[in-house]
Amino acid sequence: MAPSTTIFSARKIITMNPALPTATHVAVRDGRILAAGNADDMSFWPDAVEDNRFADKILMPGFVEGHSHIMEGGIWPYTYVGYFDRISPEGVRVPGLKSIDEVVERLRAVSDAMDDPNELLFAWGFDPIYFDGRRMTRHDLDRVSTTRPVVIIHASFHIMNLNSFTFEKIGLDGSTKIDGVPCGEDGRPSGEMQGVVARVRLFRGLNWHALQTMVDAAAVQRYGRSATISGVTTITDLHNEMPDENLTLYRDATASEDYPVRLVPALSRVGSGSDAIIDRIRELQGMNTDKLHFGLVKLVVDGSIQGFTARLSWPGYHNGADNGLWYIAPTELGEIVTALHAARVHMHIHTNGNEATELAINAIEAAQLAHYWADHRHTLQHCQMASPAQFRRIKALGICVNLFSNHLYYWGDQHYALTMGPERAARMNAAGTAQRLGIPFSLHSDAPVTPLGPLFTAWCAVNRQTASGRVLGPEERLPVADALSAITIGAAYTLRMDHLVGSIETGKYADFVVLEQDPLAVDPAALKDVPVWGTICGGRVFQAPKG
Amino acid sequence: MTPGMTTSDSIPLTVIGGFLGAGKTTFLNQLLRQSTRRYTVLVNDFGAVNIDAALVTSHDGSTINLANGCVCCTMADGLAETLLRVLDAPVRPEHIVIEASGVGDPWQIAEVALTEPDLHLAAVIVLADAEQFPLQIDDPYIGDTVRRQIMRADLLLLNKTDLVDTRHLALIRERLLGLRPALRIIETVRAILPAEVLDADLPVKRAGTDLPPVHDHAIRRWLYRSRRPFDHAALQALLDALPPSLLRLKGWCCIAGETTPRLLQMTGARWTLSSDMPPPALVRAETLLVGLGSAALPDDGRLAALFDAACAPDADNQAVA
Repeated sequence: MAPSTTIFSARKIITMNPALPTATHVAVRDGRILAAGNADDMSFWPDAVEDNRFADKILMPGFVEGHSHIMEGGIWPYTYVGYFDRISPEGVRVPGLKSIDEVVERLRAVSDAMDDPNELLFAWGFDPIYFDGRRMTRHDLDRVSTTRPVVIIHASFHIMNLNSFTFEKIGLDGSTKIDGVPCGEDGRPSGEMQGVVARVRLFRGLNWHALQTMVDAAAVQRYGRSATISGVTTITDLHNEMPDENLTLYRDATASEDYPVRLVPALSRVGSGSDAIIDRIRELQGMNTDKLHFGLVKLVVDGSIQGFTARLSWPGYHNGADNGLWYIAPTELGEIVTALHAARVHMHIHTNGNEATELAINAIEAAQLAHYWADHRHTLQHCQMASPAQFRRIKALGICVNLFSNHLYYWGDQHYALTMGPERAARMNAAGTAQRLGIPFSLHSDAPVTPLGPLFTAWCAVNRQTASGRVLGPEERLPVADALSAITIGAAYTLRMDHLVGSIETGKYADFVVLEQDPLAVDPAALKDVPVWGTICGGRVFQAPKG
Repeated sequence: MTPGMTTSDSIPLTVIGGFLGAGKTTFLNQLLRQSTRRYTVLVNDFGAVNIDAALVTSHDGSTINLANGCVCCTMADGLAETLLRVLDAPVRPEHIVIEASGVGDPWQIAEVALTEPDLHLAAVIVLADAEQFPLQIDDPYIGDTVRRQIMRADLLLLNKTDLVDTRHLALIRERLLGLRPALRIIETVRAILPAEVLDADLPVKRAGTDLPPVHDHAIRRWLYRSRRPFDHAALQALLDALPPSLLRLKGWCCIAGETTPRLLQMTGARWTLSSDMPPPALVRAETLLVGLGSAALPDDGRLAALFDAACAPDADNQAVA
């Protein structure tokens, strides 16, 4: 019996393959692309099943999200209280909340609907940066409930807000002054809590392990659904210590034909020596399947810009805040990078500030001098502040970058006014420079830090428009075609998967996104509004759930 | 809880900080090998821990149990997770020691002991490499990280002093005291800290006033005994203002108006006066303190005078030491 072949037709297929940029038909066999072309080209497979349901739609290679986290799937059982609208894994648009009162109102409604008056109410996504310096207090959350613990984790995932009941329950009254629990003028905790203090005290006081229990089989499924909704068929989980329980979840989920996305976790091992990292990544790579791809190792050099923990070169933070934190010592970074590079381990290195970027570039340069590896594809993740000179070194050393373009919209106004000032804010996430220099690059959301959605991320790089409408650095704007390339073949290259995904060409996985409009034909300002019908992953069709 | 108070049975927590190469691992290796107490030590990397195989009774990948009762855990699962596991372990540690990362701020960890009823903060001890320190403190990349670590240390171990000459050592001390004039500094060669500094044995256990010898010429011992009770406020003020050369103080303090003496624990600048640990019968009615200091410690008489001055005015009893 001849193998079964399906031919999908579309109004237009944007292939991201420069040798055949557009097509109208694509033949799929055994989950892979047999050929793309026009109707005549398909006549070689007369027995193929024709699937014309997308005849009026646009196909593209499935989007590749090069930096997001499984927590995007884990967090949704809890109440979203962020400033911007957000789409749930069920396809429901959850409206953003524009004031602290609105946050309180939503939480009170949720609290009132809960059966158990003592049960914890947990919410996420809050960011006080949008409220003109007003912080949320415990009194705000006392309006939600005085009988149950109410805990909100900020969009940064570092700071939490608690109600007075929770402070009482965990025994913090302000009599001991500690950095992790700031107090108000009355000498009592003002409402926020952070750091290891918060994790330990909440667990021991409420018997609740914040964030630790959120990654389960349902979370992995939700992550897949969110991928489908946003057109993603290859997704990273870019920071995972990969304990065995987590590994089992991933292997089980991706073994099913019904799982709609290829999962690319990056191994992160805080504190283990280089040898242990190398051994573990080799072991994990031995378990690779068509839908589960190990190979990346994540290193984190500094913190975040909006949290003022990124490491900046002179003149530092625009508002005069102290320089940020190293998460790994500069000398240690050099040692690990050289050891992993020598063992041909592909590294993705988080550097937000330009001082951290400088050190990462230096480390890769030293590793290259010691052990030359032409095709290393080490990728600087975020790399938000790199200067033009740094980009030139990045090019010279064969480094890739994955830029955090969503920052331009979500925190662009704050970067302009507070963190970076006008000139440096205008060169943040400089995709235009990367493009001009020919650096392999991608664009990302860092979901759940910002929402998953490569078309929105591409829109950010194309328009560089902040939430208030300011255009930050028009010279760094990308043409739409280049932005689409960055979220497909560009990202696939940084993951060392460009031979498998990221373009529509013979032999690759049959992974497509199905769009209702042609993103190359719409007004670039409307790129983010192009509707995603769903995806095809390995030849299987997945329609996005619609609320 | 108020500062300086501890609840009954709380476990002392010591945080060891310092930049890479300062000697944290050497320090912890010695602690694990030579301890007479059941320390549980949380380290960043097992690879660096060097314990004689003969001492190891079991090793399960994240925890090493030693024959002397000590336990060593890695924090590969995260500091909070590891600490939670240790606190709920069937065998309570006598003392928990956490190694901060080379770039971490040990104070952030120390705060856990201020909020956990099961813990009290014994000390934040930061090590510095005497040879590297002058370069590190002015390094554009890491200078602020090193400074941050020192600013809230209770004790600074200036290590590897054999690698620099006395003139440089004096300059380093000057630089450190410029950052923090009241900083308590101990000079060491191979991160060898007298065990008493971390966890002093009370002389009362030996039922006498004979002090065991200190095997370090840079460390001096001092003993204070008195039947006169302290004025509580005056004692607190004194403890906040003791000379930086007094590195460690432990013992029982009689307080005017209170029936049983309180346990005083001081490491570096940090002290606690705990009222809910009953003193041994021998010290029911007297103050008995043992101190450890650097070579610059004032002479015995001058120190005793400071403590005598904090006694309650209406007391008639004579000082006996």
